[in-house]
Amino acid sequence: MAQTKPTKMFKSVGFYGVLYGVLIFCAAITLVPFAYLLCASLKPTDIFFDNLFLPSGDGLFGVAWDQLTLSHFHRLFAEEGFARPILNSTFFASVSGVLATLFSAMSGYALAKFRFRGRDSVTNLVLAALVVPGALLLAPNYQLLYWFGMLDSYTGLILPALAPAFGVYLFRQATINSVPTELLESARIDGCGEIKIFFTFVLPLIRPMMGAFLLLTFLGSWNNFIGAQIVLQTPEKMPLAVAINQLRGVYGTDYGLIMAGTVISILPVLGLFLLLQKEFLSGLTAGAVKG
Amino acid sequence: MNSGYPRWAPYVLIAPFLAVFVTFMAYPMLYSLVLAVQQTYGPKASRFVFLDNFAYLLTDPLFWRAVRNTFVFAAGSVLIQLPLSLGLAMLLNHNKVKGRIFFRLIFFSPALVGTVFIAVMFGLMFSRDGLINFSLHGLFSVFDPEFPWLERFVMGSLILAALWQFVGFNMIYFLAALQNVSKELSEAAMVDGAGPWPRFMNVTVPAIRPIASFVVLLSLIGSFQLFELAWVLLNNSGGPDDQGLTVVMYLYQKGFISFDLGYASAIGWVLAALLMVFAVIQRRVSLMDED
Amino acid sequence: MLKWLRQFDLPVSRESLSVGGWLICALAVASSLGVLAWPISRHEGLQMWIFSKPHGEMYDTAIERWNQSNTPEINLSLLSNEAMQQRMLAGFLSDTPSADLIEVERNFIPQVFTGPIEDVGFVDLTGRIKAEGIYDQINKPSFAPWSSRGRIFGLPHDVHPMMLAYRADVFEAAGIDLPSVRTWDEFAQVVRPLVGDRNGNDTTDYIISMWASGGFRDQLEALILQAGGALFDESGRMKIDTEVNARVLATLASWMVGPDRIAVDAPEFDATGNKMRLDGRVLVALMPDWLCGVWQSNIPRLSGKLKLMPLPAWEPGGRRTSVWGGAMIGITKTTNDPEGAWKVAKHLYLSEVLAEELFVTNGIISPVKSYWDRDFYDVPSDYFSGQPVGRMYIDLAPDIPIRTSSPFNTQAKDRVANALYRVKEYALKTGRHTPEELMDRAHLELQKAERIVKRQVEQNVFLRSEP
Repeated sequence: MAQTKPTKMFKSVGFYGVLYGVLIFCAAITLVPFAYLLCASLKPTDIFFDNLFLPSGDGLFGVAWDQLTLSHFHRLFAEEGFARPILNSTFFASVSGVLATLFSAMSGYALAKFRFRGRDSVTNLVLAALVVPGALLLAPNYQLLYWFGMLDSYTGLILPALAPAFGVYLFRQATINSVPTELLESARIDGCGEIKIFFTFVLPLIRPMMGAFLLLTFLGSWNNFIGAQIVLQTPEKMPLAVAINQLRGVYGTDYGLIMAGTVISILPVLGLFLLLQKEFLSGLTAGAVKG
Repeated sequence: MNSGYPRWAPYVLIAPFLAVFVTFMAYPMLYSLVLAVQQTYGPKASRFVFLDNFAYLLTDPLFWRAVRNTFVFAAGSVLIQLPLSLGLAMLLNHNKVKGRIFFRLIFFSPALVGTVFIAVMFGLMFSRDGLINFSLHGLFSVFDPEFPWLERFVMGSLILAALWQFVGFNMIYFLAALQNVSKELSEAAMVDGAGPWPRFMNVTVPAIRPIASFVVLLSLIGSFQLFELAWVLLNNSGGPDDQGLTVVMYLYQKGFISFDLGYASAIGWVLAALLMVFAVIQRRVSLMDED
Repeated sequence: MLKWLRQFDLPVSRESLSVGGWLICALAVASSLGVLAWPISRHEGLQMWIFSKPHGEMYDTAIERWNQSNTPEINLSLLSNEAMQQRMLAGFLSDTPSADLIEVERNFIPQVFTGPIEDVGFVDLTGRIKAEGIYDQINKPSFAPWSSRGRIFGLPHDVHPMMLAYRADVFEAAGIDLPSVRTWDEFAQVVRPLVGDRNGNDTTDYIISMWASGGFRDQLEALILQAGGALFDESGRMKIDTEVNARVLATLASWMVGPDRIAVDAPEFDATGNKMRLDGRVLVALMPDWLCGVWQSNIPRLSGKLKLMPLPAWEPGGRRTSVWGGAMIGITKTTNDPEGAWKVAKHLYLSEVLAEELFVTNGIISPVKSYWDRDFYDVPSDYFSGQPVGRMYIDLAPDIPIRTSSPFNTQAKDRVANALYRVKEYALKTGRHTPEELMDRAHLELQKAERIVKRQVEQNVFLRSEP
């Protein structure tokens, strides 16, 4: 495709100038809040509002570099005990992510490749559930957890998140698109068990979707605020989102502390995203293609 | 066993999902119908009020205010955000663009930040002596240097914050959609001397329609559920003159601050009904176009 | 590990997931082990929740002393108001234990009283308070917010009388004798000459921090109460659209628009607001005793520049104070040790030592009347230019208006704040800006507010049957 003769318009330097100009402008706008966040997390509390970004002074670029401090980060761990919320968040996010992805993949595969009674009704139910607002379920779920005695428990927060209709829908599409039925049949002729077929033949084929959905659910639970705020009671069980929001004081907020907490909350998911980036992009979109 | 797999296989595969789905999705949906005809004070105290909740809702000015606001937000999201996402995707998709992965990563990165944190960050940036007023006044000196965004431009501010959060996320979908655009068709059109706009309408749009309509639906569902962003940005309220009151915020206030889970369920069902109407309309429209 | 797994011919292959995928799985296993290995510490003794950091700093030392020689042991946790409200109500309503003792701010108590009286999650303390003579020791109006349907559910923490804080340096330099001002009308006239670009940055600077937004709803309520108005009368009946309330709204709106504007949005506990106070862009604020403590720690640089005076009255000879805020300590019904909790509550709220510490660290005066003659209240305050701040507040304490405990007060306040916003917008649009011109609109908006709250009251079936 690159060999096709470029038209005059595409050759012009002006066109590329505009194109890159727009891209760089949008990228800058996207990055400004991050820069703001990072600066804010490093500024000491007493001069926090004196400058928008970094404190001005005599240092390089007119910035008082020596005023910057890691004390907010230090305080988060030393005084606010942030190790525990980080562990909790990792626990919620990874366990919900792994189980929700596994369950979704299993049932998406079942809906796509098997004929069984009730298949159509389950498929329709899943499609209908896509438009049900999560907020509708907040109230009855709260009552349900109360009856099960699961309020203020890890289970109460994780369990309801394990049946994402969206995930089943995505995996059904992905399986239809990328798992050939002939492969399954030949595997069966070779005497493979169903469980083994799923794990060794199906999963590798829908790997992009696995990666994408793992990341998506991980992200969702990692940043879930309302659920934890409603279900949990004990301070030690709280995830990062609640713990950080907790720092908003009644008589004034220590913004540096909150911004440092926010930086901490972004770094792990950023790392995961970088690792899973390729799959995430291809997987997420594979599901969107109509099957 | 005509397809060569044991009869139990699909049932086993789908069982874990279905068990959770029925308990925490299907059952609560039905149960919320039961709750909707009751008035409750938490999970313990409840009285049967039959259709009173719905009757009250129909004439509840705050509810309708919330519906109006939510519609404005949804319209803003779909009409501003998605064209921007598509535009960025088309720029990035241009085959000569260097650093595509880099730009893609930048545009996507806001999606990694939790909504609560975005709200706290934008709260600072929207404040009267915040970054946004500072920059706008610096660029255009006529701009009021102390414009009260969160008093006089509440919905607009929410739409802007959501724009930052989701443009890149939706761009990913469009990027994948653009892979379906046939290079041959596009070049043939160019040889025929078709301008950029007819080329876009006749070649690009038909190719990306399936994914685009999926993204429109997802955005609608998402923006109808606007809550956390507004709740934190407006300090746990609907903002001045309820300009930022959303349906889910109202539901949350009723259900989890007044603890009238019954009325909250009634609100949830009306919201679900609205969403389903939209989903049906949206499906009709996209099917109609396909013919 | 994968090789080891394959030995057993488990159906897992490295191909099933990518590196990132496996990493998340590994995280799941590791964090599960971590959560298991890091048990949640079961504290002995009583759990106590508080919402205020300054209170907490004072309690920390008090509780340390208590725990050395007394039982039961107390464990303090600081929660944000929203989180506390959420967890407190969730706990009450589902019988999940929350804490044994909870210190609650006034804005977060009405919901506790929304349901049937037997479902209130706090222990009814009326009997104890009356039997032990505490009822007569404490300033009566301090009980009001914590009482519902004739029962008292908490010990009051404070009185919270309100004064006016002003930049004495600026007013004295301008030759304005603010303390001689007796009414709000007079106030508006006297301060007007100071409106203008005071610090030379091309923006108009105003006088008093008061605005038509949710953030100022407490100040609005305080001014309504001061004027003799109310949102609910003493029997809990709603009366929002009244002459007095409308007059307060119309007057406040007139402060915010037009050529006579004197008010500006300089929110409390807020960086923007504090910067405006520091820069002298706002000169006057409504000041309950507790806010003195907050300013001293948040805006220390104003020390020596401020003075306090009684509020200007709405009518000549009218009430010169009001009330804003308040907290109580309550014992939850889920506690295992109500007797121990009661002992702790009395120690923290009624002992003289802690009354003194409360004043010294937080600027808050005790509701226990017998301590009011103590010397520590007479100490001159450096922050407030040598004024005996404690004494000044105590002189006003018996006059504070009664606050309602209506379960609908939060909604009512929100609606009335909203009404003020709409009156202000109306003034902005029409150019009418005197209180007289705005009265009709104020009534109209209050009527709307009343209709909305009234419908909510009538909808509540739990309170409907009760008197």
